Amino acid sequence: MNLRILVFFVIGLLIFLLDIGFNAEQDSKDIYISDQELTSLLSAWQSQVGRPPSDEEIVNIINNFVQEEILYREALLLDLDQEDRIIKRRLAQKITFLKQETIPNDPSQEEIKKFFEKNKNNYFIPPTYSFSHHYFSKESNAKERAAEAFDEYQTNGAELTGDPFFLGKNFYQNSEDEIKKNFGALFFLAIKNLAINEWSGPHESVFGEHIILLKEITTGFYPPLEKVLLRVQQDYLSEAQEKAIAEYINEIRSQYRVIINPDYKF
Amino acid sequence: MNKSLIGLIAVSTVFLIYVTGFYTNFQSDSALEVIDFSIDKPASENSIPSNPDRIPLYGDLHVHTKYSFDAYIFGVTATPYDAYKYATGEAIKHPLGFDMKLREPLDFYAVTDHGFYMGMIENYADTSSEMSKKEWTKPMHNINRPENVNVESLGERADLFSSVLSQAIVQPYPYWHPKLWKAWFTNNIQVALKSFDYDVHKSAWADVANAAEEFNDPGNFTTFIGYEFTTSTEVEGGNLHRNVIFNSSNAPIRPWTRIDSLNPEDLWTWMDSLRDKGVDSLAMPHNSNGSNGQMFEVETFRGNPISIEYAEKRMRNEPVVEMTQVKGTSDTHPLLSPDDEWADFEIMDKRVGSRPPTYSMPQGGYVRDAYLRGLTLDWEGRGNPYKFGLIGSSDTHTGAGGFDEDNYWSKAGVLDGTDMGRGSVPLTQDRIDMLNQYADLYNQPISIQEIDGRTYADVGFDQWSASGLAVAWAEENTRDSIFQAFKRKETFATTGTRMALRFFAGFDMESIDLDSEDMVKNAYAKGVTMGADLFSQDNQTPQFLVWAQRDKLGAPLQRVQIIKGWVESASGTPKEQIYDVACSDGLLVDPVTNRCPDNGARVNISDCSISNDVGAGELKTIWTDPDFDPTIKAFYYVRVLENPTCRWSTWDSIKAGVTPRPDLHQTIQERAWSSPIWYIPESGELNIIPL
Repeated sequence: MNLRILVFFVIGLLIFLLDIGFNAEQDSKDIYISDQELTSLLSAWQSQVGRPPSDEEIVNIINNFVQEEILYREALLLDLDQEDRIIKRRLAQKITFLKQETIPNDPSQEEIKKFFEKNKNNYFIPPTYSFSHHYFSKESNAKERAAEAFDEYQTNGAELTGDPFFLGKNFYQNSEDEIKKNFGALFFLAIKNLAINEWSGPHESVFGEHIILLKEITTGFYPPLEKVLLRVQQDYLSEAQEKAIAEYINEIRSQYRVIINPDYKF
Repeated sequence: MNKSLIGLIAVSTVFLIYVTGFYTNFQSDSALEVIDFSIDKPASENSIPSNPDRIPLYGDLHVHTKYSFDAYIFGVTATPYDAYKYATGEAIKHPLGFDMKLREPLDFYAVTDHGFYMGMIENYADTSSEMSKKEWTKPMHNINRPENVNVESLGERADLFSSVLSQAIVQPYPYWHPKLWKAWFTNNIQVALKSFDYDVHKSAWADVANAAEEFNDPGNFTTFIGYEFTTSTEVEGGNLHRNVIFNSSNAPIRPWTRIDSLNPEDLWTWMDSLRDKGVDSLAMPHNSNGSNGQMFEVETFRGNPISIEYAEKRMRNEPVVEMTQVKGTSDTHPLLSPDDEWADFEIMDKRVGSRPPTYSMPQGGYVRDAYLRGLTLDWEGRGNPYKFGLIGSSDTHTGAGGFDEDNYWSKAGVLDGTDMGRGSVPLTQDRIDMLNQYADLYNQPISIQEIDGRTYADVGFDQWSASGLAVAWAEENTRDSIFQAFKRKETFATTGTRMALRFFAGFDMESIDLDSEDMVKNAYAKGVTMGADLFSQDNQTPQFLVWAQRDKLGAPLQRVQIIKGWVESASGTPKEQIYDVACSDGLLVDPVTNRCPDNGARVNISDCSISNDVGAGELKTIWTDPDFDPTIKAFYYVRVLENPTCRWSTWDSIKAGVTPRPDLHQTIQERAWSSPIWYIPESGELNIIPL
């Protein structure tokens, strides 16, 4: 298979179309396929399939396109586009896209900066907690044993040791959500207020008692704009688009009047 | 004589050319073309925390979205992106308009739409599509327009579900038929089907993959590119469904589906070929309970005897089985395990998708039976094809798995999204009329039933469950770490509860201090864990270490059991035995009955409240099998039971202010099952067994 076949095909198609064209009386029956259209057809195919189409496939793609175009025009002639919900929705969608596209694609640095300042909370990096704990199982006098162990540690400097805990002893940079997931909300309340590098306890969880050593808190912080620039840009754009559409509808809406039968039973 | 020889040569030459022609096609098979679906994302700066003692990660590997042919008909418009949002903790909408939200986010999730006809129904419904111009797509046009996603559309949808199925499925030919050969060798037979648009199909698959890539977040949340291979046996319609997941961004350009072949062995061949190309995957069978005993047959799909090669191929590709999900639990059946007091648990005894609902034979449909069959086959020298680990998953068709009894929406969208639709609450007169009308209109069997003077929907959804989860013991929350856990079978299944379960076996477990903070480290060092083989050491008796922890938001634990199965060496008879090994509330196992005494936990059926003062936060023990025989192969797996709680159907009736249906279980015991540990005796001289 080589390009020649394609050339013949295209010539054949042209003759066919010319024939249709000459026989047309009112509406033009030309189907003109622009270079741009061809490029986009072929690249759409490639993006779906992951490789460029073969010659045979190109023929098919163009054939499909032509067929669709012909059916589309015939359908228009029969007014099949009237009162079709899908078509309505599609057109409504298209005008929203249109309005979205009126937003400048490259907002100025100034605008991005302003947007970032305003929505800083969306980019907040929450604090994390690194800690170790000794666990005393609810199954065997957790409260007493934990209190005793802690007392021994405080008065005599005895080594702290408890029961095995399912997720282990040491936790590194866990966020609030992770701690709540692993230990429950009660445990997080305790850990939030602990002093650094000081064994403390016993603290209660669903599973029993814990003696906790909070090693490090990374404070939550607002990252500098450079670190989250990509996300900010995306968010800016989507907000601007939503705003543009809302504004557009508001503006036009006042020109419309909605009439609903007041006696209709919902 | 000479002539006929020449004729024979001529015929065989032509045949050879014919076959090699197809074989060449097979070599360039589109299903083996690998695509890199990865997308550019800013790499995370944080290092991924890793724990050598491993952590339990909870997930769901069986989720359908609008791309599944049946889900779309059920009114589902949730995308794979919506599904992943749900898994990370966001609320998404049920087709009937209410919010679905998880109690806590999951650690991993895989969207697994039916590979077969993926994306096609949405395409039929879209009246701007090429396909929608075909006459027979008309009933599906705009089926999910917002005003039609309601309970009234139920009859229409149920009808489409059955008619689409019969219309779209390729009638299989017997194995000798040349057309079936053609199907095997050209390997993309779906393209030849009039009801199929390959471009639509491929772009649906690409979108599924893209969603997985977009949401995969190493260290925090893991996704897998995957799909469901929805096959069944030819005559009886025995369910042979399995989910396939891939271990990276690299996946084939299209899923291998039942149109390619109904035979699971061909799926494994395809997976093997992909593995040779560096794309690792695994398949997970599910709903063996609805397979009419054919998921774990003692012969192959084609009726041939099972061989060592078959066993190895199956285990290479199917290391884990999804044994609990919305369509029931496949641990065991009361008929198979008459001595197991907990066997009658969420039994779904119909063949999957059968119309009218048809009984599914239990033998060969439950995992405990499969383990025994595996040992029997092994005993015959055919290898063990049923040496798999256990997971659960939801099989939701709304994008969102429902795991809680008190917050349940079943799975089939509009069909069972209401209590009346699920059969848990009596029907109102207009719903009765609707169902009768539907039966008339579409010539369907009557789908209402009288129970105790009240009328309920009779559609089989009352046997469905708020289950289950897959749990992997992994070093870190990444694709590779979780995938390796599945391959090791270091997994357990739960009915939706987030309990945790450790299980080890070894010959020096007794030296481990259960109360030491180094317990797990020592257990890994001195033994093997769930999913592994324990090889005999001089015929010593092994010890088993079990440790279970409750779901902090669920009910406390009641007991831990070890289930043992073996084949008697004298008679070849499969045997099973259940031992309670740890009881809550300081109770002790009765050494004669092997049971814990009643811990007194009760449920108040009028409001579903439970006893607060009994049950355990954790249970741990070291156990020795009192009947251990060092010369016999055996498997051991753990079952952990929570205190009883209300079943979803009871919750439904309480919310609706009616008395619960008397013929349904009003309470259940949520549970978890570990993958087994297999004990392998020393292979001494051959035992000659008289037959």
